[in-house]
Amino acid sequence: MKIPELKDLILRSLDKDSDPEKESAMLEEAGVTWKFSEGFHEKVLDTIFSAGDTVVRKIEFVRNLNSVFYRIALTGVAAIVLLMISIFVIQGSISLDSFLGLGDSYDESIVYLLTGN
Amino acid sequence: MIRESYKQKSENELVKTSLEGDKQAFGEIVSRYQNMVARTVKGMLGDSVFSEDIGQDVFIKLFHSLSDFRGEAKLSTYIQKIAINLTLNEIKRRKRFFSTFSQKGNNEMYEFEVTDNETEEKREASEIVGKALMSLDPKFRIIVAMRMLQGYSTKETAEILDLPLGTVLSRLSRAQEQMKNILRKL
Repeated sequence: MKIPELKDLILRSLDKDSDPEKESAMLEEAGVTWKFSEGFHEKVLDTIFSAGDTVVRKIEFVRNLNSVFYRIALTGVAAIVLLMISIFVIQGSISLDSFLGLGDSYDESIVYLLTGN
Repeated sequence: MIRESYKQKSENELVKTSLEGDKQAFGEIVSRYQNMVARTVKGMLGDSVFSEDIGQDVFIKLFHSLSDFRGEAKLSTYIQKIAINLTLNEIKRRKRFFSTFSQKGNNEMYEFEVTDNETEEKREASEIVGKALMSLDPKFRIIVAMRMLQGYSTKETAEILDLPLGTVLSRLSRAQEQMKNILRKL
């Protein structure tokens, strides 16, 4: 299409009484069209779905971390309970001193242990 | 073979399966609408690498907002709205950038990627339309791009842009006047 014809077509396509579909098709035929570069489709899908994989991996990591945390926490609680039971059995009571291993010691013996006098 | 079966699916089926994480279903949506998005984005921003990025953003945004698509409007209208919003944001960003850092107008961003098999005449036609569009006021440019490049009627343009029909008609008439002056200089 020659340039003056093209200019006419452009202006005609903006006329409110024109048929936009027809004019747009004519412009496309004249070479007025834009496309994304080759590989655009793949690039878009890779961006979206590789990001999706990252999200899935993050979720899995958090889920695994949670289950590991619960296991460690439960083991810890069980160990503390066992320790308290054993203290109660050995000392006959549970106090801070007995919990710290000082239940049987008198003040003097502690001073002796610490100072040697 | 599998790709062919996706080509037969309706918009709503593709949206549904895409939401279930089906990559090929979303791939079919991209295939169907990438040229439409290219016409809008490149028509508004010029044929540059930045337009490719905005085009990508359109589909990424579409993917993340697919669950909001209720199927009341056409999927093409929904995508077109996303494309227009992102393009207008980019135009605003460029305006801010150029007014802050440079005296050059945003027309300087326009580049043409000429492929080998394009004839000189077609290349020239594309260049003239591109330059004319870039010289238009952005609020007229969007109306012109919708009508001239996408073939939307005035009513469809009004629906997509959420503008009253009268506004679209008056902008179209003013765009035509502006275009006449621009084309005279090209």
